[in-house]
Amino acid sequence: MSKTDFPVNDLLRRKLQTSLTFISLTTCVASTLFLLLFSDQIGFGITSVTQNTLTIGYWAIFSNFLVFVGILVFAVGAVIISFITFLMMAQRTRDFGLIKAAGCPNSLVFSYFFTELLMVTFLGCILGVTVGFLTDYAVINMSGFQAYQKAPNFWFAPLVFVTFFVFSLIFGLKPILNAAKLSPTAAMSPMQYFGLSEGNRFKALSKSRLTLKIASRSLFRRQSTTVRIVVFLSIVFMLLTVSIAGSIIATGTTTTRIEKAIGKDLLLVAHKDMGTQYISLLAKFSGATEKTDFNYLDPNFALTEDVFQQLNGISGIANFGKRLVYEGQIQEVMNFTYSDSATIPIGAYREADSLIVGIEPENVLSEWFIEGRFLKNSNSSEALVGDSIAALTFEMPLLQSFRMQNATLNIVGVCLDPINNGVVVFVPFKMLKNLNNVSNPNIMLVQLDSSVNKETIIMQMQERLTNVNMDLAVFELNEVLKKNVGFLGAIWSVIMFLPLFSLVAATLCLIGYLVLVINEQRQEFAVLRAMGAKPTTVLAILAVQSLIVLFSSFAVGISLGVMGTLMILTPQPVVTSFTILEIAAWLLVAVFGMFLLSLWPAIRFAKKPILKIMS
Amino acid sequence: MPVKTTDSVVSTNSLYKAYQLADAEVEVLKDVNLNVVRGEFVAICGPSGSGKTTLLNLISGIDRPTSGKVIVLGQDLTVQDEDFLAEFRCRNVGFVFQSYNLVSTLTLAENVAFPMEWSRKPEAEIEARVAELLETVGLQHRANHFPAQLSGGEQQRVAFARALANDPELILADEPTGNLDTKNGQKITQVLKMLKANGKTVIVATHDPEIMCLADRSLCLEDGRLASQNE
Repeated sequence: MSKTDFPVNDLLRRKLQTSLTFISLTTCVASTLFLLLFSDQIGFGITSVTQNTLTIGYWAIFSNFLVFVGILVFAVGAVIISFITFLMMAQRTRDFGLIKAAGCPNSLVFSYFFTELLMVTFLGCILGVTVGFLTDYAVINMSGFQAYQKAPNFWFAPLVFVTFFVFSLIFGLKPILNAAKLSPTAAMSPMQYFGLSEGNRFKALSKSRLTLKIASRSLFRRQSTTVRIVVFLSIVFMLLTVSIAGSIIATGTTTTRIEKAIGKDLLLVAHKDMGTQYISLLAKFSGATEKTDFNYLDPNFALTEDVFQQLNGISGIANFGKRLVYEGQIQEVMNFTYSDSATIPIGAYREADSLIVGIEPENVLSEWFIEGRFLKNSNSSEALVGDSIAALTFEMPLLQSFRMQNATLNIVGVCLDPINNGVVVFVPFKMLKNLNNVSNPNIMLVQLDSSVNKETIIMQMQERLTNVNMDLAVFELNEVLKKNVGFLGAIWSVIMFLPLFSLVAATLCLIGYLVLVINEQRQEFAVLRAMGAKPTTVLAILAVQSLIVLFSSFAVGISLGVMGTLMILTPQPVVTSFTILEIAAWLLVAVFGMFLLSLWPAIRFAKKPILKIMS
Repeated sequence: MPVKTTDSVVSTNSLYKAYQLADAEVEVLKDVNLNVVRGEFVAICGPSGSGKTTLLNLISGIDRPTSGKVIVLGQDLTVQDEDFLAEFRCRNVGFVFQSYNLVSTLTLAENVAFPMEWSRKPEAEIEARVAELLETVGLQHRANHFPAQLSGGEQQRVAFARALANDPELILADEPTGNLDTKNGQKITQVLKMLKANGKTVIVATHDPEIMCLADRSLCLEDGRLASQNE
């Protein structure tokens, strides 16, 4: 037999085990490569900051998540690969002994099994790289991210391939090297190839039912392998908890913040060009572009007192929010702080183009998430700055001020608002009037009573506005809100999709573990059946073993996952009882899904005739 | 499970068993007609590969014949499903393997107890029966030991105790002394003598002359056929 005939035949003979190893390897490599490619292309890469979409505050939440989930996906991949290759090669220890006992030289046996390991890991990693690229292509092109993609970085492929290939070889080689050192008799002993502990006489659960007794003691007897699978599944559940809990909480939090910043069920009254421009500025967050060279202070855009008088007469309107919106330049003002009797300079005199929004502090319809505080009143020389401009133009914004059109404004808060991707400052409207010699706002936000028929009111408003100026229009902000929330949802869906790879690989490993359990207990199960056990008893013993392994890992993984989630969560997360229920439901679905799938080899085995089991 | 109380405990009719191995069909049993009555001790001898184990497997319902009938305690085992056969074996048949086949994760007491647990007997009854059976085979002091801590002979005695747990009508033993030295073999023969004295129906596949002497009837299998019957 040639050096390649034996490995090929041996791999084909163990179809289930070979496919499990192969698919697990492919999944791990593919998920890691996809994660790197996707985060790099979409702009959440570790080094790049995308300023075209998302405000910096939102970007930071996603970026933190991707880095954390990425580390976990890689850790899971490494542990899966080490476990599955170890499992695959450990089960060949007996064959190693048998072939040696038949007179085959050690080096030749070693080369047989090493070739098998090389074949499986090489092909698994190659296929993983291919699947990783295909998944990235599919996700980028089919889930609304086309606008943000750049060419994939092909260097990630060799990086991931080499890392995982080396990992697989190291962990797969260990059991073959161990077997090479053993005498044929020792290699053929079940103590070796099932990782059984020789002296364990622990009477686990001696008062319990037979099924539980056999299952728990078998797990104790197989200590080394059981510990490996529990450790590995714990990391998988940690990853799952972080990504499921984290993304559900973060989705809720980010969505709520966007809704509050834009305002839910608000109407916008403006000149049709100004209204369109304002909506583009709001939707810039999710990829829209506004008009450049737009004259915001065009007198035609002014909303005169006539407009308010017309609208005031409509019953059903609860409140107005006037805004003066235009683009301008702001300049950071350098400041000093004192620490340990030393004067420390803060910032410089950086300049930036920003959207300037004049608001009436007593009458705003938005509820921003603010670090710091809101503006005191219309007469104050204070400003709120958006999170992006705060990060790009200021060193310590809450201790600084900025100059704008010869006025100096103290920054009292940093807020999250998607308008112009967070490159925005909010200042008292009264102050802007004086600075620009403009007396009227160019945007009006309208809040309706919740009880009224929206369509009817919009029609009435439109009618009355036409009396004043034919170019005035009513816009619904819900659509842009929906678009922005949808965009956030799409990104979170992709992030939640990442652990799915790890979950699939983990399930395959659990199936691999149950195959090992079945092989080890094959003779005992046959005896139990011969003594009168029904096939369901055998299935129950295997199911209990799978459950013990799963739930012990689940407990450890969830605890670590909750800690991880708390570490990377956004400040003041929005957590309702429904959020907790949703997280618990997803995690339970994952664990029960894994459990049911892991039973597949057990069901197949339980159906076998007794003599076939014994043979 | 209703069991008919006729004198015939085992009856086989034109029993034929063949295995498909690669391209060839191997005939293991051919036209085996056997009748064993209540309380009878039957020894089956024959060279390796003659079909002794297969015959015991068919009688216990562990395996199914290619054709022919196996009627045990009035039940035609060839037409029953796996669950029925499992319960039937549990309550009515005690099987002793050549290689003991104790469950390594259970103590001796637990090994003896599990067929009774499946028959849903009360715990107190199980405990008393386990103690009685281990005393019968002389291993009551090892009740909490695991099989790996016992010698082959001791394990085989526990295997007999397990086979007797539900007080089955029929005991099948497949070369019970085949793996044992003379001294331990004699201890097993003592157990078989006790079973005979208690009026159990016993069928033993064996090469052991001592066990053959103990039998009411010895049957010899040659090339899958019952070649001779010595009363």
